[in-house]
Amino acid sequence: MTDLEEMQKELDKIKLQEEQLFEEMKHFVNQRSYVDAKIKVLSKVLPTLKSLKVETQDLVNTIHNIAESAEGISNKVRTLDCARNRVDECQQRVADLIDVGLCSEGVQTAILNEDYEKGAGHVHRFLSMDQSLLKQSATDIENVSSVLKAVGTLQDAAGQLRTIVQHKFDEAVRLEDLASVERFFKIFPLLDMHDEGIRKFCNYLCDKLRDTADKNLQTALNAPVTDKRHHVKFADTLTLLFEGLARIVDIHQPLVETYYGPGRLMSVVSFLQKECDTQVKLIIMEFQKHRQLQKKINQISEVAKMSSSSSFSKLDKLDPKELDILIQEITIMHFRMELYIKFIRRKVLADIEISVLISEERNNQILQLDKLINASDLSRRKHDLLSLYLQLEQYFMEESVSKAVGIDSTETAQQTSSMVDDTFFIIRKCIRRAISSGSLDGICAVINIACAVLENDFCGILRGRLKQGYPSGYLDLTQAYNVLQTSIQHGRLQPSDTEQIRTAFLIALNNADASTEYVETLCDSALGDVKKAIPNMNTNEHGKLESCLSGLSSVIINLKDVMEYGMQQLRVSVIKPRISPWVDSFLNINHQLNDDELSEYEAGESFVQTLIMNLDSLLSSFKDSLTSANYDGLIKILIGEVTARFEKVIFKSAFNRLGGLVLDKEVRSLSGYLTSATTWSVRDKFTRLSQIATILNLEKVTEITDYWGNHDGALTWRLTPTEVRTIMGLRIDFKQEDIQRLKL
Amino acid sequence: MEDFKFLFKVVLVGNAGVGKTCLVRRFTQGLFPPGQGATIGVDFMIKTVEVDNEKVKLQIWDTAGQERFRSITQSYYRSAHALILVYDISCQPTFDCLPDWLREIEEYASSKVLRILVGNKIDREDREIPTFVGEDFAARHNMYFLETSAKEAENVEKLFMKIAEDLMQQARNKDLSRYECSTTNITARTSSVNDSSCCSKLT
Repeated sequence: MTDLEEMQKELDKIKLQEEQLFEEMKHFVNQRSYVDAKIKVLSKVLPTLKSLKVETQDLVNTIHNIAESAEGISNKVRTLDCARNRVDECQQRVADLIDVGLCSEGVQTAILNEDYEKGAGHVHRFLSMDQSLLKQSATDIENVSSVLKAVGTLQDAAGQLRTIVQHKFDEAVRLEDLASVERFFKIFPLLDMHDEGIRKFCNYLCDKLRDTADKNLQTALNAPVTDKRHHVKFADTLTLLFEGLARIVDIHQPLVETYYGPGRLMSVVSFLQKECDTQVKLIIMEFQKHRQLQKKINQISEVAKMSSSSSFSKLDKLDPKELDILIQEITIMHFRMELYIKFIRRKVLADIEISVLISEERNNQILQLDKLINASDLSRRKHDLLSLYLQLEQYFMEESVSKAVGIDSTETAQQTSSMVDDTFFIIRKCIRRAISSGSLDGICAVINIACAVLENDFCGILRGRLKQGYPSGYLDLTQAYNVLQTSIQHGRLQPSDTEQIRTAFLIALNNADASTEYVETLCDSALGDVKKAIPNMNTNEHGKLESCLSGLSSVIINLKDVMEYGMQQLRVSVIKPRISPWVDSFLNINHQLNDDELSEYEAGESFVQTLIMNLDSLLSSFKDSLTSANYDGLIKILIGEVTARFEKVIFKSAFNRLGGLVLDKEVRSLSGYLTSATTWSVRDKFTRLSQIATILNLEKVTEITDYWGNHDGALTWRLTPTEVRTIMGLRIDFKQEDIQRLKL
Repeated sequence: MEDFKFLFKVVLVGNAGVGKTCLVRRFTQGLFPPGQGATIGVDFMIKTVEVDNEKVKLQIWDTAGQERFRSITQSYYRSAHALILVYDISCQPTFDCLPDWLREIEEYASSKVLRILVGNKIDREDREIPTFVGEDFAARHNMYFLETSAKEAENVEKLFMKIAEDLMQQARNKDLSRYECSTTNITARTSSVNDSSCCSKLT
């Protein structure tokens, strides 16, 4: 069948092909006449083509000829160009010669008329000519003498003008004639005296600056103590100086650029910098004298020395509060210096950018600029100031924190004491102040200092308080009631010594917890603030800052460590001694019940009800006095202790079916209670215990296979096969052979 | 988490001009930049090296030698795992200052900090401090000793690798001892070695 079908198919295909071929043939035949006509036309065209070829050859020849003549013409044009250039040059020289004549005539009259701009203009024209070429052209022409004479006159006039302008400039400076000063300042470059002009002008500016700065400093020194800005008057004076300098640069930069050309700012700045250095030195010297800095620094280092050797150093200690304002002033001063240096650098860099085009030369100039800035007395004093700041800030931070710890107090119903808020307020203040100094190195150093204070002093104190321990003499309810009664009888509630130590212990524990949060916030906010204050940090600076901030995370680790230490204290002194007898009472209960005993047991107060009640009263005594993290930590420890102890007593007991049933119920309600007591999941901590209960609650030995093995219903076991067998052995109704026969 | 297991802070100190910056540059970038200006404040470089197939990140703090930066540089001593004290073998005064530097280290650095004495510039002909004098000083003060040349790249790699190896050894020993004496005295210094593992051990 299939063969036939295929053959039929093949036949159809062939038929189709035949048809197609036939069609095509028909088509060819049809076209024949058309093709014939075409051939006829083409044979007619043939002779025309021959003549076309000849004509094309002619055309090619013509084009060749044209190309040759074009070549010739362009040669001639080149020669002409050359000639024209020479004519131009010649004209230039003639013009120069004529100008020399004109200039030499004009310059004298100009000088006589005191029109120095015009005179200098003539000289400038003369100086802009190629001097050697000028001499050469002079010898080329006939009346040598007149040109040479003109040149001579001009050279004399240049010299004359230079002297006059210098003199006039000096005079204008002496007369404080600002208009004339600027007038002659503009003439210097015309006489090729750029450097001289800038030097003289800058000297003039420096003189002005000195006068103003002197006056400002005097005003500051004479300012009465009652003055509102008395506490920052030196910072103000410094600010005025820098503002004056910046104004000078801003005003005169366009003037210099227009008349002297770009690229001169560096020399202007280097002249100004000398005066700036002198003035800064004066201000800082007065500042140090009036604010008695040396004395304060000496006092601080004295304290440092004494506290490390002996303990009675309280005699002449500097109050950190007194330093507060001074430190503030220093940071302002430092910030101003930083700002001014940045301003100068930016200005000069921009000037270099437009005036120097070769990158190598540019880098050279930038290097020179950095050298100028770094070698300046201003930079040196800035560093000195920062160093001073850091010494004072460190003292301020250490002393303020130790003060905060010293006056530590607790409001009733507060979980933490005042030292936490106070300490972090101080540290945040110091870091913010460091940020306001504008120096990354300063910020990093203060962060480092803060880490040291927190880790050594602050954590040390918390740990010290926890070391006192939590007095274990546990007050049960009746005792507490009696204490309360007697207190009321005495008219006031006076907590006993033990009570005080307990409160102190819990508060120290809470303080550590609260501090971890504070440190985290501190870290985040510091990073944000620094980014705002110093927006264009490069990756290296960023790394530096982050590395220093990571010092704060090790403070957190330290605090967690302190908390852990406190928790262990609680475990040993409170939880363990309480819990053991409560759980051990399980041993006194009959776990092999019959139905009657079961209902009797359930009707009365069961083991787990008592346990929960005890745990509840224990926990509730801590609930309000611990932070939630610490409370959770306590519960964690409590659960650990309860489950471990519970396991132990179970292994010491023997159960029947109903006993196992009861146990399973009790474990469930215990786990339920503790889950509700805390915010995080405790189920995990109960896994072993509930698995033990599950085993003891089995109907028969083989039922274990429902839970054990590699199937969907199986549990993830926390018990080893040996343990499972041991637990099953606790059921008196399970046969040992059955248990041994199990394949686990 | 970045792909290194240990992070150590190494701080270089010593008089101005003894070649601290050049040592760091040689090690971190393989360069010897001549005509280096004085360091301002502190500089910060990172290099990751491999010790026993473990990636070790060295955070190198290059401090300014000049007196006026002392209050900045001192603040870095406390968290340092290793301190490299550098002097110039061709310059007696830089050697004479070593006791002052040691006093600073005693005052500010952790007592367990790894201390290394380095005599730099051994490429120079005009040596003033013989090797044995340096060795002797180091031995008396319980420090490692090495002579280097940042210019000729001599012993520079060795210096930092030795530090990395030693610190790693220390960290490993600490890890072990921590398991034993668990809670009571864990210093903050070791905890910064590897934050994640520490946290998990504490809980």
